[in-house]
Amino acid sequence: MEASSTQWKGRAVPLREDVRFSTGRGTYIDDMKFSDTLHVALLRSVHAHARILKVDLSEALKMPGVVCGLTGEDAGRMSEPLRSLIPIPVQLDAYCLAYGKVTHVGEPVAAILAESRYLAEDALEKIRVEYEPLPAAVDPEAAMEPDAPLLFESMGTNVMWRDRFDYGDTDAAFARAARVFKKRFYIQRYSSTALETFGCTAVYDDHREQLTVWSNDQRPGQAMPIVAHSLGLTHAQIRFVTPDVGGGFGNKRKAHYLIIAALLSKLSGGRPVHYLEDRRENLMALIHACNGVMDLEAALDEEGRILGMKVHDIADEGANVLNPTVHSILKLGNLTNCYRIPVVRYEVNSVMTNKCPSGANRGIGKPFMCLAMERMMDYLARQLGMDPIELRRRNLVPPDAMPYTGPSGALIDSGDFNGTLDKLLPLIDYQDFLREQREARAQGRYLGIGIAIGLEPSTSNQSAYILSSGRRNASGSAEAAMVRVEHDGSILVLLGDVGSGQGHETAAAQIVADELGVAMDGVRVSPFFDSAVTPWLYATGNYSNKFAGTDVGAILGAARKVRDKLLELAAYLLQEPVENLELAEGGVRARDRHEHRKALAELAFVAYRDLLSLPRGMEPGLEGRFYHSSDLANVPDENRRVRNQLFASNAAHGVIVEVDPDTGGVAILKYGVVHDCGTVLNPSIVEGLVQGATAHGIGAALYEEFDYDAEGNLKSTTFVDYLKPTAVEIPDVRMDHLVTPSPYTPLGMKGVGEGGAIPAPAAICNAVENALEPLGCTFDHLPLTPERVWAEIEKARASK
Amino acid sequence: METQLTDAPADTRAISVTVNGTRREGEVDVRKTLADFLREDAGFTGVHVGCEHGVCGACSVLMDGEVIRSCILFAAQADGHEIVTVEGLGGEEGLSPLQQAFVDHHALQCGFCTPGMLLAAVDLLKRCPDPTETQVREALSGNLCMCTGYAGIIRAVRAAAPHMKG
Repeated sequence: MEASSTQWKGRAVPLREDVRFSTGRGTYIDDMKFSDTLHVALLRSVHAHARILKVDLSEALKMPGVVCGLTGEDAGRMSEPLRSLIPIPVQLDAYCLAYGKVTHVGEPVAAILAESRYLAEDALEKIRVEYEPLPAAVDPEAAMEPDAPLLFESMGTNVMWRDRFDYGDTDAAFARAARVFKKRFYIQRYSSTALETFGCTAVYDDHREQLTVWSNDQRPGQAMPIVAHSLGLTHAQIRFVTPDVGGGFGNKRKAHYLIIAALLSKLSGGRPVHYLEDRRENLMALIHACNGVMDLEAALDEEGRILGMKVHDIADEGANVLNPTVHSILKLGNLTNCYRIPVVRYEVNSVMTNKCPSGANRGIGKPFMCLAMERMMDYLARQLGMDPIELRRRNLVPPDAMPYTGPSGALIDSGDFNGTLDKLLPLIDYQDFLREQREARAQGRYLGIGIAIGLEPSTSNQSAYILSSGRRNASGSAEAAMVRVEHDGSILVLLGDVGSGQGHETAAAQIVADELGVAMDGVRVSPFFDSAVTPWLYATGNYSNKFAGTDVGAILGAARKVRDKLLELAAYLLQEPVENLELAEGGVRARDRHEHRKALAELAFVAYRDLLSLPRGMEPGLEGRFYHSSDLANVPDENRRVRNQLFASNAAHGVIVEVDPDTGGVAILKYGVVHDCGTVLNPSIVEGLVQGATAHGIGAALYEEFDYDAEGNLKSTTFVDYLKPTAVEIPDVRMDHLVTPSPYTPLGMKGVGEGGAIPAPAAICNAVENALEPLGCTFDHLPLTPERVWAEIEKARASK
Repeated sequence: METQLTDAPADTRAISVTVNGTRREGEVDVRKTLADFLREDAGFTGVHVGCEHGVCGACSVLMDGEVIRSCILFAAQADGHEIVTVEGLGGEEGLSPLQQAFVDHHALQCGFCTPGMLLAAVDLLKRCPDPTETQVREALSGNLCMCTGYAGIIRAVRAAAPHMKG
């Protein structure tokens, strides 16, 4: 099999989708027009925890323009309960609307369907709900206590999952250690808050027994079975379509809303029913990344090498009874970060509280793991009187150990961590900075530098959840694609993962253009996922940076099927052996006589129209479908080791900050990232994602927090309270790259989307602590708001 | 205490708004936002709604040449005024220099903030044809982007500036 050309791969090809977005001609879910659309408004709980005694829609239903309504009880009659993937075998009555009780502020309690959203919201004000408020479980550690208010009495506890993974003999490692250190870390609730909110339109056509759902849900492969089961429909009766998605980051998933819209469409006789969250609803009730508490213990030898580690982790999942434990499972991937730590004890606790349900968010659990690990490294360095970079170097997995399997079974396929670090230091003028810092301190200014190296695993293996759910609900890592040469020689590509800003349309076209020897203009990648047309599996969707790990395999597999057929057909028509032929310049030609060729359009003419010119036994058509399942995915072994994600990118972040001691304000003076995601398909895409993901990490470190009071009321429900960084706060990241291709992906690519969000909070935290080292300030809680920083400075000054 | 709502239909107002050069006349609910009017009544779905409380800037449009947030203005307040949305940028030739710069510098990923960002940039470049990086950042600080981390946007605006003069 000849190698494909490399005319397009590796080039910073401008993104074709950028053209329609720059002219305001994207088609997001709220842009899609249907006739006779009705609109949903949701009444949401004002209590963190309460029994629902009565929901009375009668007055609301009389309001102008109102068509019908839905309560939790209605949902209980009209749909099956949503299945929860927790290990505790108890039936939880969870439906698309609150049933019997509410478990977090903002939980949907009732739905109104009306001619417009305005009229639907008017009607909400007429709904009468009688609640019996209950004490709320807000703090996760308190929620674990035996006397804590229980979200579900039948569970008998708020701890949905508690487990201990002993990967090797940590007791022995700790017993022979020269020194042992323990430290506690916290992470706050935050989320990526995509600018477009979650939405859907459903048409439930009872006569044709067909449900069509358009939605920006980023995991249609998972949404489909949930919706089908809930509504008692078969998959064949459901068509799921994804238009342009205005940012996902893991957050854009809420089957409840899809089911509400479908039920209301059914009740309205099949009219299109549209629901779009507003920002307040999005911040209160879509998804929060788990907040948490982690205790790290490290056992070191005399030279500062880490012999073993104990991790005790509490993940606050909010009221997520459906699919918790994701953050805890994902931490298996960067449990030991980039370090060669041979044994680890990992104790997990997934705790329910009366807060917004948890879910996937850029990094999922790995930012916290990296935060804890990288802050621990700085802490250990201070305790040992060692240079923090030297301490890291002593523990990094060396390049000659690749591919490296960590104690949890996590695979690092490739990487040169020392090399990544080497490139970072000159990028941020490290040596010069140390001198600058001395001079600044002499002047009473607080400049600091923070380094963090972070493993960035990608491509989730569904089998990992066997560890937490106790069930083999799914396994493997996969995606599907179709490549088709059309009747006129143009090429259409369909991909299960339409993305949410990662440039899939362009990236896929680069790959297919090279594979089939055409100009990129000749390849069209559909921006839509359509379950009736696009091949898909359970794993289909946009998550865990899987483009490099699975989508590429699917695209190549499909393209190669078409390639093989084109060559075979051309060989027959040109009377040339296949080995003599190559795909180039929009056709198939003899290598030694380029004019002896067939254009793709000519081959397509035979394949679709002039069928009797086909070789005997060749099926007409020029279409390839490929379902790519990664060979690297495995199931947990008898020691519960598993590759929970498959391919590991990495990055080193270095940040220089100045802290204003009078205001507590933190200014980023310089930010450098050296990034390794293996082979780079399109540098523009990679650099954009590194910059953007780093911005998420900066936001988490300095600005963002979902702040709940002691009763479980969310205080951050607007962008005035929940602060996102703007163009003023986010610097231009100085970037450099290292390329260690993955030996396991077809092009050597590794995932890139999440990346920067993982090491960034750690780097910034380290920088602020470094800046304030003369005062001895340390920080337990993020974000490092001016108030927090100022308070620590004042505390430190007062104690001197 | 329950909120008292009248059951009478909402008040409406006849308005005349010029959008992207075309005059549109209609009867709108007095409480309908300009953003919703532009999206639904005028058909310009390039106007995006990201927060509805005037912070994120996704809904930014030009009103009489100045950038405003259409989510916190009523459609009735635009009566007699001229609105330019992202669809009004560029022209027969295709992309405007600013839009082309956004493409050339990959100043977007999901595209949702892009219309508002473009209009805020148009407003800036009109007031300040040769902005420094700091000036660009400050002028765009009212437009949130969750994807790009802003670097490409700043580069694009600065690259487009010389082509927008005159």
